[in-house]
Amino acid sequence: MSTTRGESPHRRGRLARATGLARATGLARATGLAGTTRLADATRLLGTTRLAGTARSMRPALAQLAGGLGTAVLAFAVLAGLIAAALACLLGIGLLVLPVALRGLHSVADTERTRLTRWGPELIHPGPLPTRLRPAAADPTTRRELRWLAGHATVGLLLGLVAVLLPLSAVRDATCPLWWWLVPRGEASTTMALWTVRDWPGAFAAALLGLGWLAISVGLTPGMARLQARRGRRWLPPDPDLDLSLRVAQLTATRAAALDAHATELRRIERSLHDGSQNRLVAVTVLLGAARRMLERDPAGAEELLERAQSAAEQALAELRSVARGILPPVLADRGLAGALTGLAAACLVPCRVEVDVPDRCAASVEATAYFVVAEALTNISRHSRAEHATITVASRQARLHVQVTDDGRGGADEGHGSGLLGIRRRIEAHDGILTLTSPPGGPTTLSVELPCGS
Amino acid sequence: MRIVIAEDDPLLREGLALLLRAESLDVVATAGNAADFLTAVDTHRPEVAIVDVRMPPTHTDEGIVAAVEARRRQPDLAVLVLSAYVEQTFATELLAGGAGRLGYLLKERVGRVKEFLDALHRVAAGGTAIDPEVVTQLLTRSRPDAGLDRLSSREREVLALMAEGQGNTAIAERLFVTDGAVHKHIRSIFAKLDLAPTDRADRRVTAVLRYLESTDSQSVSWNSPPTAAGSSKTRSQR
Repeated sequence: MSTTRGESPHRRGRLARATGLARATGLARATGLAGTTRLADATRLLGTTRLAGTARSMRPALAQLAGGLGTAVLAFAVLAGLIAAALACLLGIGLLVLPVALRGLHSVADTERTRLTRWGPELIHPGPLPTRLRPAAADPTTRRELRWLAGHATVGLLLGLVAVLLPLSAVRDATCPLWWWLVPRGEASTTMALWTVRDWPGAFAAALLGLGWLAISVGLTPGMARLQARRGRRWLPPDPDLDLSLRVAQLTATRAAALDAHATELRRIERSLHDGSQNRLVAVTVLLGAARRMLERDPAGAEELLERAQSAAEQALAELRSVARGILPPVLADRGLAGALTGLAAACLVPCRVEVDVPDRCAASVEATAYFVVAEALTNISRHSRAEHATITVASRQARLHVQVTDDGRGGADEGHGSGLLGIRRRIEAHDGILTLTSPPGGPTTLSVELPCGS
Repeated sequence: MRIVIAEDDPLLREGLALLLRAESLDVVATAGNAADFLTAVDTHRPEVAIVDVRMPPTHTDEGIVAAVEARRRQPDLAVLVLSAYVEQTFATELLAGGAGRLGYLLKERVGRVKEFLDALHRVAAGGTAIDPEVVTQLLTRSRPDAGLDRLSSREREVLALMAEGQGNTAIAERLFVTDGAVHKHIRSIFAKLDLAPTDRADRRVTAVLRYLESTDSQSVSWNSPPTAAGSSKTRSQR
């Protein structure tokens, strides 16, 4: 942005222009929003609808380029630092400087990831990256960051500068007729000092030039923004192979958690079978055995034992039913989630409203989990909340099942007290779901659960 | 016979006490957990303890641990362990101190009152009562080359009953043969399996179980002196 045609008297003027430009840059940053709106207005005056459409997409594009300019300046500094460090290596002291420069590289790359995420698909931040020479040289992410840095510190920087200076030049030249006569004669000139404005025709020509800058800016900015972002989008995501392995690690972890929860569930079932139903049945055999021995000696006593044996057998049956229901409530299969929840609500002592908006059936285990969540919540409500009303809402949105149970009771519910909620939380976590409980003293209490329903 | 019962299920605990009292046995105390059981053993000095394996708080092997501890405090205590299912490690743990005065039965055997009382008396008298299920598991799990192939089917039956802790007369009754025939079978079994011939029931049981265990006996430490001869002999066979 310097002049080639500068004569010595103009030198002071150029200096003034430069400072003015700097001030205007700051102004444009501060009022970037208002400025671009005005630009959009100006293009509407031109009457070209295509241009107007481009102008609408220009505001974010320009903001993006300005932000890109910021990271590009940082990238430039880091690039300079890295080159300096590399040179220092030749002198043998580079190994001390290099970690600092590499830390700078990771930091500026992370800033760019955050920035690009704001403007499009998310770029995942990699974990801690190596800052020592040898591991860094072998690290694929660091190598990709370096590739990005080289481009962004040069081409990206240039694109950002041009994108920011173009609208500024447009404003400066378009408004030339308003101010050229205020500055000392012979010191008013167009951007890039294409010509010196000495009279009104020159000033209006400058205004036309300003409109030209505007058109160029409007036309090019979105493309430039894309161009500037492309390098970051290409090189800053993790290496595809690495990305996949991260995903595999994540899936392995959740799968292990699911298996763990599954094992816990199996243990629970095994225990309720062995320590519950089986003990009842053993008691039955013991009582029957005793009764048989007693038959001859004391028929009346035997009769009493038989009575006890029968009631033990009935208890065993009841236990078996409850174990089976604990595995998968049969009502879910018979009447679906909505019907099952309505049944729960009807059995609850506190009046309940049920709203279920689930068009499709979810996986059986997900429905069962939702059912147990509501059952546990309603038990707690009727036991502790002193609520007068409760509401159950269930909805499926974006392959997730949202369950919410609210009551108007006294609040203060705590997950730590009573293991009911804890068991529910484990069950939910096994399904990769989320449980939130808000219960301020005085109420209301809201239990929210989100479950992936895998449909 | 003074008996202490440790069983966490109230219904079963009372049922058991009722059954034993109806047989005019002296149930001096019942306990719902291991700590209460040990206290009751200390207080009442019973001759026999009937212990459930799974008790609070963890419902895993509290009963086994408590039984071992009770035996440490009162070495002449006979222990009859009742379990909801057969777990060989439990049996191994129990038998580590020798098979005398020891029983390990599935809970439902209690319903066959006569057999149960037999086992109880046998254990109280210093003998052994191992659940047929445990023996069956050991028999099926043993290595094919363990030498069991060389036994005749009748000899296998005798071996199984021997492992349960039955005496010669009881075995003869069960198999409808004479005492002499049983004696002959046993001698043949001991010879075929290279076990030291011995007459006392608990030594026979230890020897037999030791032999059957030989597939996975690395973790077991047999420090009961009476079986030392038999065990060294079996070890030399491997």
